Amino acid sequence: MRRLFLLLFLSVSSTARADGIAFIVNSRGPSISVIDMATHKEVSRIPTLREPHHLMLTPDGRSLMVGDTAGNQMMYLNPNTGEVQKRMPVADPYQFQFSPDGKLLTVNGLLRNQVDVYDAASMKLLKRFPVVATPSHLAYSPDSVTVFVSLQDSDKLAAFDLRTMTEKWTMPVGKTPAGVLWLNGKVLVADMGTDFIAVVDPATGKVLERVVTGQGAHNMFLSPDRKILWVNNRVGGTTVSMDAATLKPIRTYAIPGGPDDIEFAPGGKIWITRRFAEKVAILDPVTGSFETINVGRSPHGLFLNPGAPSPTAVSSR
Amino acid sequence: MGDPFDLTAGWLVEHLLIPMLYQFGLMNWEDVSYNWVLFALYGAAQVAVTFGVCLPLEHWRPVERWPDNKAVWVDVAYTVLSRVGVLPLFTYVLFYRAQVFVSGWMTDQGWVPPTLEGLFPALLGQQVLTFVLYAIILDFADYWRHWLAHQFRWWWALHSLHHAQRQMTFWSDDRNHLLDDVIAFVWFGVIALLIGVPPLQFPLLVLTLRFLESLSHANVRLSFGWLGDRLLISPRFHRAHHGIKAAGDRSCNYGAVLPWWDMLFGTADFARDYVHTGDPSGEEALATGSYWQQQWAGLRRFARTFSRRTA
Repeated sequence: MRRLFLLLFLSVSSTARADGIAFIVNSRGPSISVIDMATHKEVSRIPTLREPHHLMLTPDGRSLMVGDTAGNQMMYLNPNTGEVQKRMPVADPYQFQFSPDGKLLTVNGLLRNQVDVYDAASMKLLKRFPVVATPSHLAYSPDSVTVFVSLQDSDKLAAFDLRTMTEKWTMPVGKTPAGVLWLNGKVLVADMGTDFIAVVDPATGKVLERVVTGQGAHNMFLSPDRKILWVNNRVGGTTVSMDAATLKPIRTYAIPGGPDDIEFAPGGKIWITRRFAEKVAILDPVTGSFETINVGRSPHGLFLNPGAPSPTAVSSR
Repeated sequence: MGDPFDLTAGWLVEHLLIPMLYQFGLMNWEDVSYNWVLFALYGAAQVAVTFGVCLPLEHWRPVERWPDNKAVWVDVAYTVLSRVGVLPLFTYVLFYRAQVFVSGWMTDQGWVPPTLEGLFPALLGQQVLTFVLYAIILDFADYWRHWLAHQFRWWWALHSLHHAQRQMTFWSDDRNHLLDDVIAFVWFGVIALLIGVPPLQFPLLVLTLRFLESLSHANVRLSFGWLGDRLLISPRFHRAHHGIKAAGDRSCNYGAVLPWWDMLFGTADFARDYVHTGDPSGEEALATGSYWQQQWAGLRRFARTFSRRTA
């Protein structure tokens, strides 16, 4: 809901033609492709330092944060123009998210085996949790009290209490867990070394159910109306839509080239990064067909700002 | 249209490697595997380019002709192992992770890891220029590594395997003792960490430099002229370094790609002509043994330097 509000805020705050701007993070570019959402053309490429992966809007909607892991840098962009606002040293920022109440920022250091919790307003490091091993993705409980982190190399999911800053539990959830999502009072974990997503009890960490999606289940995304769960399967090269209430599969789409992250465009089209193909797929879920946009090396995170003015000239510094 | 190397690597990863990793329960290597395949491809292409350029040159104007080329085949094995197998594996399994770990630790201490782009922000996005600057810095570092390898007896014992070849060809660049390779990789790795060479740029940088190094070892009468020899190391210039009278600490022309450092520090010798190569002080196995015989002979020679010291 907060995200929809922010997008609305960004929409009304822009006065120029509102076709929209898309940011695609090319992990091995290393760069960010700026796409005109109206024409589906790449209009510029913002250089980054070493290896950016994920990106996220700040709670106030004024900045788009891009984490550069090997560059140990958080880059702040203007989400309406792509202009670089500032660069801040942050150790190994792989995946990161603000808590639902906007007060905390959790940053997973994938290769440094650490989960860092920052005060979102001051960016002061409040707590570092050393973990075993390779913290990959994360999700919060809706009350912002608990953060759940997948530990890719140890096949586990860890839960941290953010009030007491202590570890609640670390439990096995399946081979090579990646994406994490809170849904209907449960935690879903996409197990990339398997063909299923694990449904986990947030209180105990026990796996309650395994739902088959496809080989190499990698990441999950909830549609804006919260009715459809979308799952990307890395090995199978498929994207699966599921009923978010029942977790029953609805349809499987072939998206070759290592489907990874997803964003939802107005009008129902779905943007999907294809890591190995250096492309973004724009899927029409009704027809099942998709068009592609060529981007940089290993596209990973993406962000759509449909309310932004058409990006004709974007600063690249 | 994307880079053909990237797209080929992507295809191989998607259709061969990832299904294999999935089957064997090794999906945690998925991210690294793409980089490994990509740079193995770079290595294979570089071997092919080196072969395509140097072989005709060696047939055109050879310095020496030999009754058989048996000793050269071992050098071929060294090259393939080094450029298609070991180098990319080292780079992405060790160097990449080490760089992220060390630079992250430095960030935590409040010290932002240095990068050329950090020092000169105008370089951000200028990949070709940044690449050239990093290449010059690494070549300078490699000059000193090579010079030191000729000064210390224990290090020369390892490095002499490289100099033992009497049938020096463009394949000879990679004939090194494994321990000598490890020292060189650590040396390069530490320097690269200190100056912030990007992980993705590092293998490409090394492979480009090493194409020029391969050429400099070629069995060909080739000089780049008075000026050219002073800008880039030619086969003539580097052959003087491998001359039988230049083994050990009596050598000259230590540079790998640029002769500037030899000129600057007084170790350049442009006068020596196309000399015979080899190291008469080493045992025969170092020159004509099989791969493992050479490695073992190098290790024995290395060990002897310590036993003499303690005796």
